[in-house]
Amino acid sequence: MQLEVLHKLFGEETVKLKSVLIAGASLALSTFPATAGELTFWHAYAGQQDKVDFINFALEAFAKKHPDITLDVVAAEQSAYKTKLNTAMASGNPPDVFYTLPGGFLNAFVKGGQMYALDQDLAKDGWRESFLESAIAQTSKDGHTYAVPVDVDSVVFWYDKALFAEKGWTVPKTYDELMALAEKIKADGLVPFALGNKDSWPATFWFQYMEMRLKGSGVVASFVNGDANASLGPEGEKAFEKVAEIAKSEYFPTGFNGMSDQEANMLFLNGQAAILLNGTWQIGASADAPEGFDLGYFAFPTVAGGAGDQSDVLAGVAASFGISEKAENKSDAVTLLKFLSSPEVMTKYVELRKTMVTVKGATTEAAAGPVLYGISNDLMNAAGHLDSFYDTAMPPAATNTYYTALQGALDGSVTPADAAKRLEGALKDNK
Amino acid sequence: MSTDIGLAKRHNRATLLFLAPALIFVCAFVAYPVVYAGWLSMFEWDGASDPVFVGAGNFLKLAADPVFWASLGRNLLVALSAIVFQVFLALAIAYCLVRIVPAFSRIFLFFYLVPVMVSEICIGLLWRFMYNPYFGLVNAALKAVGLDSLKRGWLGESETAFLAVVVVMSFTYLGLYVLLFTAAVRSVPESVYEAAELDGAGDLRKFFSITVPMVWDAVRANSLLAIIGSLKTFSLVFVLTNGGPSHASEVVSTYLYKMGFASFQMGYAATIGFVQMALTALAAWVVFRFLRRKGDT
Repeated sequence: MQLEVLHKLFGEETVKLKSVLIAGASLALSTFPATAGELTFWHAYAGQQDKVDFINFALEAFAKKHPDITLDVVAAEQSAYKTKLNTAMASGNPPDVFYTLPGGFLNAFVKGGQMYALDQDLAKDGWRESFLESAIAQTSKDGHTYAVPVDVDSVVFWYDKALFAEKGWTVPKTYDELMALAEKIKADGLVPFALGNKDSWPATFWFQYMEMRLKGSGVVASFVNGDANASLGPEGEKAFEKVAEIAKSEYFPTGFNGMSDQEANMLFLNGQAAILLNGTWQIGASADAPEGFDLGYFAFPTVAGGAGDQSDVLAGVAASFGISEKAENKSDAVTLLKFLSSPEVMTKYVELRKTMVTVKGATTEAAAGPVLYGISNDLMNAAGHLDSFYDTAMPPAATNTYYTALQGALDGSVTPADAAKRLEGALKDNK
Repeated sequence: MSTDIGLAKRHNRATLLFLAPALIFVCAFVAYPVVYAGWLSMFEWDGASDPVFVGAGNFLKLAADPVFWASLGRNLLVALSAIVFQVFLALAIAYCLVRIVPAFSRIFLFFYLVPVMVSEICIGLLWRFMYNPYFGLVNAALKAVGLDSLKRGWLGESETAFLAVVVVMSFTYLGLYVLLFTAAVRSVPESVYEAAELDGAGDLRKFFSITVPMVWDAVRANSLLAIIGSLKTFSLVFVLTNGGPSHASEVVSTYLYKMGFASFQMGYAATIGFVQMALTALAAWVVFRFLRRKGDT
């Protein structure tokens, strides 16, 4: 260990040496020589106040607990961060520890041999068991885990309890009940389902839930994992057809394909639209709802005759942390990951960001609040499977095709059969 | 004599020296990216792994890509509408401002110029509100005049999305051409109009027989400007519809953006950009030749 440090300090990396010395000096000189480690750490917790609050808390606590490890931290906002990390990876200069999106984004790095497999470290001290297994699956490829998952977003139906009580509507349990309710809402002069699909992702929840109910979870995952038998099945066409039917029945707002998600939210919060299928970030988005608005949720209803497990929930890992294969100081890097995914830090994450996390038991009722805790405890724990977001799981080029095909199917300009064919083709061509 | 040549040479050198900084910038920020895009267009590259050489593969793919050709067709429609609703409408307005209501020309000109001064992104966002089917001004106005049946989800329906975008473009750029033509129309000598009036010419006659021929050079330059602008239009489409729904309002630039920065097909995006540049240059040349009068150079 000592030798390693010496080698590192007096090796060719004089630039690094300088920053170690400066950072080390600013900490405490006495702690410096023993096991001095230096890590570059990149993350995307910038811009939004809740993100900044979380990372400040985590980094301060880490510095206190591990004064022997010096972090060289770089932060950027989500979209800029993605480009920045991609560039660093492409130029062969990755940070040691970094924030990454799971799915297609992470898999591109895995394919390039740039991610350190965490399997051995996860096997020790029950680290692996501290995570929800379904979440770990989303940061793994071909049996190896390349990142630790952080937070989870899940998609449910949202509604205003006060509005439902006033109108005497009840929460539907089956798909047929949902459609009957939509007809009733429409007859009352309101929009049944808020949807702003200009940016194409909001409508994907409708298609994906339909496919999950009709065929089952893991459809896109099997394409991404290179399964030769992967297929959307006849259910793919059927799912496009069902979603197109809803559009045709005018249960979505007029011109929904041109409206943004924010505009749809305005309809929902103003009470002009009754129900919204959206992610758990809706809790934050509903914070500035008018007086008397009482946010409630219900699960995507069961579809009669569907082959899928009807309790499955659309839920995906939103972010994760990984280690570069090139990192010289892997044991310190693992220490950092272990610290970030510890129950204390993760509970704080839930409290500050009002988002569910992948660490078991960290999404406590006190930290999460009643709505989020209910979803986490009642819905997700009871789910047969959690299926991650199709659009982030698949490679970017296929996502583009998916978006266009779905917009077209909703619009009537692309037939359900054609939409299913295009999506399947794109999933087969881009792995 | 010899000293004259020496002097000229020295002047040349000094001139070149003064031109050099601009030339270096053009090379670094225009010529190099163009050449690089040309080179990149022969590769398949996702931005993360190593580029793979595919030769003319991207160009063949482009030739067979129906979305690209449909997008290009829309660019041409934009150009056509720009000639009619921006250039010629602006000329007519400029004539009215200068010849018919000169007293109000300044205040009108100011209003026409407001959209030119505001950023395109802001204009796009404003129009998104106007087009909103629930809170928007457009549908409210239709309702107010009893045309309820015409209410639409303008930006969200494939039949109307592109039309809605073209309307915003005309509104946005019209003012610029009004300004340019106002200056041109003002420069036509008053004596020509006086002579025409003595011969009994009305406003319509004066417009077509005097103004249009006298400002033809401006017409030519402005048409060229409008066509180039139309072929590379991006921001308004991006903000209003992002090319949707399902490519219904896609233009070449938004398609390029999607291929490059959503699909990460950098090589193919470079191919689209390269072809777009070549076609724009070609169109500009054709139009400039076409609008030339006999005897012009």
